[in-house]
Amino acid sequence: MAQHGRLNSARTRGERRNALLAGYRPLPGAYDELMAPDGTVRPQWEPFLSEWSGLSADELQRRFGLADRHVRDTGVSYRVHGDVDANDPLAGERAWPLNHAPLVITGAEWQVIAAGVAQRAQLLNALLGDIYGPGRLVREGALPAAAITGSPDYLRPLQGTNGAGQLQTYAADLGRGPDGRWWILGDKTQAPSGAGYALENRLALGRAFPDLFRTMNVERLAAFFQSFRTGLVARAKRVEPRICLLTPGQLNESYFEQAYLARYLGFLLVEGGDLVMRDGLVHVRTIAGFKRADVIWRRIDGDFADPLELNAASALGVPGLVEAIRQDNVVVANGLGSGVVESRALMSFMPALARNILGEELILPNIATWWCGQPHERRIVLDRLDEMSIAPAFRANGGSLDDQPLLVADLDGAARERLRAAIEQRGLDHVGQEVVRLSTMPVLHDGRLEPRPMTLRVFAAATPEGWQVMPGGFCRISDEADARAVTMRSGVRSSDVWVTSDRPVEPVTLLPSPDKIAIRRIVGILPSRAADNLFWLGRYLERTEATLRLVRAVLGRLINADDQAPGHAETIKRLANLLVAWGAAPSGRGKAIASQATSALFGLDEYGSAAASVREARRTASVIRERLSVDAWRLFGDLQRQLTAPRKPVSEGEAFEVADSALKSLAAFSGLSQENMVRGAGWRFLDIGRRLERGVTTCRYARHFAESGTPGNCLDALLDLTDSQITYRSRYQLGAALQPVLDLVMLDPYNPRSVAFQVERLDQEIAALPTLSDDGMLEEPRRLALRLAAECRTAEASRLDRASILLFEQLLMGLSNAVADRYFLQNAHPEGSRMTQLA
Amino acid sequence: MIYEIRHLTSYAYARPVPFARCILRVLPREGDGQHVVASELSVTPRSVERHDGICFFGNHTTTLTIAKPHRELRIETRSRVEVNRAAAPFPALTRNWEEVTALAQGAQSLAPDSPAQYIYPSRLVPTVDEITAYAQESFQARRPVFEAARELMGRVRRDFTYDPEATEVSTPIREAFAQRHGVCQDFAHIMIAGLRGLGLPAAYVSGYLRTIPPAGQPRLEGADATHAWVMIWCGPETGWIGLDPTNDLIVGDDHIITATGRDYADVSPLDGVLVGPGSQKLDVKVDVIPVS
Repeated sequence: MAQHGRLNSARTRGERRNALLAGYRPLPGAYDELMAPDGTVRPQWEPFLSEWSGLSADELQRRFGLADRHVRDTGVSYRVHGDVDANDPLAGERAWPLNHAPLVITGAEWQVIAAGVAQRAQLLNALLGDIYGPGRLVREGALPAAAITGSPDYLRPLQGTNGAGQLQTYAADLGRGPDGRWWILGDKTQAPSGAGYALENRLALGRAFPDLFRTMNVERLAAFFQSFRTGLVARAKRVEPRICLLTPGQLNESYFEQAYLARYLGFLLVEGGDLVMRDGLVHVRTIAGFKRADVIWRRIDGDFADPLELNAASALGVPGLVEAIRQDNVVVANGLGSGVVESRALMSFMPALARNILGEELILPNIATWWCGQPHERRIVLDRLDEMSIAPAFRANGGSLDDQPLLVADLDGAARERLRAAIEQRGLDHVGQEVVRLSTMPVLHDGRLEPRPMTLRVFAAATPEGWQVMPGGFCRISDEADARAVTMRSGVRSSDVWVTSDRPVEPVTLLPSPDKIAIRRIVGILPSRAADNLFWLGRYLERTEATLRLVRAVLGRLINADDQAPGHAETIKRLANLLVAWGAAPSGRGKAIASQATSALFGLDEYGSAAASVREARRTASVIRERLSVDAWRLFGDLQRQLTAPRKPVSEGEAFEVADSALKSLAAFSGLSQENMVRGAGWRFLDIGRRLERGVTTCRYARHFAESGTPGNCLDALLDLTDSQITYRSRYQLGAALQPVLDLVMLDPYNPRSVAFQVERLDQEIAALPTLSDDGMLEEPRRLALRLAAECRTAEASRLDRASILLFEQLLMGLSNAVADRYFLQNAHPEGSRMTQLA
Repeated sequence: MIYEIRHLTSYAYARPVPFARCILRVLPREGDGQHVVASELSVTPRSVERHDGICFFGNHTTTLTIAKPHRELRIETRSRVEVNRAAAPFPALTRNWEEVTALAQGAQSLAPDSPAQYIYPSRLVPTVDEITAYAQESFQARRPVFEAARELMGRVRRDFTYDPEATEVSTPIREAFAQRHGVCQDFAHIMIAGLRGLGLPAAYVSGYLRTIPPAGQPRLEGADATHAWVMIWCGPETGWIGLDPTNDLIVGDDHIITATGRDYADVSPLDGVLVGPGSQKLDVKVDVIPVS
């Protein structure tokens, strides 16, 4: 516990308190959340300090461990921009740093914040309604048109449509000035992120300090999410609406928050490709056909929502979505175009707009802003340039890299002159803002608390009862003592926010009261993309297993050098050839077979290697992470670690051990999916993928190792690869003979490794899937599965040869294509997905 | 002047395309000195869904869904358009350009033709300092806006080489500017970037230019082409005036407008999604025939 320094040696509560606070002094000129200027601790923090100083350093560390483990296990993490690696989309994923001390805010103070945020949400919503509607404010001169048209989020095609820009959620970034007043630093109206992180922070600290929530009467968050959900449901036109969370996909920095919220709120997590617009309605592509989407909670920028009418380059959106909105057939929240009021240019108009629109003064001021698109304001900024921060007036067109404010005081003379010239040339692109000095809160560092600057994101949701504000928020803390602007991208921690009440707080959970729950065994419908990914997950896992078995078979035989049985060398050669044919190892010329086997294990250059297949499996799994258990997800990490190439060369024996232990991890995954996954459509697709791949692989083995005249040694290899050695020995006293072996691995319906067994299971799984029409006709996948099953049942081992085994293999590939066509690729075959089952 | 315009676009695909959803902006628009007497659009193969509308900028849009496998997509328009533009103002009598900039920035309208819609960078026309500096040479202090803009147009015509091989639709204007090569679309984008860099409202126009065959030679069928040019806002009295930097021409009755917007992305004749791999070959035939 070296990192806890003096805290370790402190024995009593008082000593530990002193150790924690040793040297804690508010930064000059900044408000401190914990400590008043005279050095006394603000009363709302006392219970927290008392709890911490009541715990030994070891116990405190143990509690932090509980919180951190929760964060790691739920996998809610934050992707750092610019870290995306096309080969490994998970490379940039970082554990999300949690500050173990919360931000404590009193209920009385919170009332002001909540009222101010609700007021601002209402104001911005009305402003949006006017921008995309009558345009009164511009016409009357209350707002220059150019303060709107500069925003890339001003979406002209939405002009005059129902609900354009309307807010369902809103977030405000707040900071506290040196005088103790809260200021609005920025508005988030597009698709605010962070509420899910806030919830996670809460659950993590709840693990560490469960009693503190009760003793401090901390307001609960669940009721807010319940209201938000109610608000979305209320916007829909059907009673039990289908609500989709539209995500940009797993490369987005807050994808895991989105997956988490979808699971928490019971929404369907979809990507643009999962949705399709037909006849003015938006549908989700599912394995049971198109199902109507009533409400789309979007987490993609508005401009990307429809490549037909908005950004033609977008691959994230739904072609035709704007037309569906125009016909008022779908609710998109927040309404497309809502981002326009995020512009800094608008900030300078807010006080006047509040009076104009609401007839009220702003409860929370925003930081003083001058938009240089106006001659008078431009003059002020140029006159006082050195004391200002200069920022883009609008989000940069097509990227936010240049979006950070510049502190003029930090610039050298030449840079200042360039800035001045730019403002004189095109003032309308710039705003001048007062330099913000943020308040500080405690973070634990080397066993004592230190003040660090922070900002607070507060969330509001539109509900039938008006704007509701989440009692808490997402607090971001800078790692630098003098940071004046905080972003998540540079060394930042986050903190839970505790709003304390004078009275005990009633716990609320999102779960409805028990007597209101209707019993259900199968939940919802499976989107085609999820089915597709589960199917491929199954295939990749099975492919990994096949490669591992091959590698193990090769290495096992190499190690066992004494074996001089006839065909020994021939078998090894055939196994190695199979690795090459499979794309798992580089071609053999001049290469030692052992090194081929090692690269089939660790090499990432060969697409068929075990490491490459695991990487693909994990990539596929990450897209459907909301459908996998934490334990299953962890196994991918284990597998990837096992198959990471070691720094120094490994011996054949060591490589054998790696293949063996990776096979054990895979078996654990199979066990988990067999024992713990609900037998819904999702599980079936995972199973279909595995069975298909196993069937095809087994056919390939059989073609390679079993033909008349093959040495018994090769047949042994075949039994090893299909894990059928023991079964064979128990049935036959002799060594491996061609026909019994072929029967066992190809045709025996009782051997869970045989092709026949896979085929029977495939038929059962496919029969259990939904059909598109009720005309009693077989769909193509079922037709093929039945044909395969009949072929297997009626075949005889004595007649099996290369050609007939190849026919089985081809039928299996055909079945794979039919499954893809019917359940995944409905896009490409609209005739195949008749619209008879609209829900 | 009345024109008959026939415009045929065909895409030939290497492999059948089972599904396509697209938006077309191919029918000529009303206004800016022209009146559409009649126009029609036909598309083969037949669409399962078709929706006709007018976009924010006032252009005709047609959204189509084609659900039938096809190897060729043919888009054909026939239009009759009457063009009768007012004469351009005397350049020296227009407002000085600083005034125009200030008026545009203070505009009290979000209408599609409001100058405030055309003073910011747009998808294909970012602010490029070099281009702004290039434009600045024609915009001396308090110079009448139209005089200066006309001079800029002439310089673009002189300094740039028309070269269909040099650029593609996707070539960034920074590159076309550096090479001093390009086609009408590049010249229009570059001139717009220069004007907007100075804070002046500039719009992109797609359409056709009547071609006059050399004396004694017949007009070649299908040999005309689509064209692109610029409009600049010169203040509330004068409004929008067309300038054609490819030909150093003030736009009069020889130009027929199809669509206007902030840049090519707003008026692109076809955007869409089609399903299916494989390459495509594009063929365009245009006839612009003056009838009276």
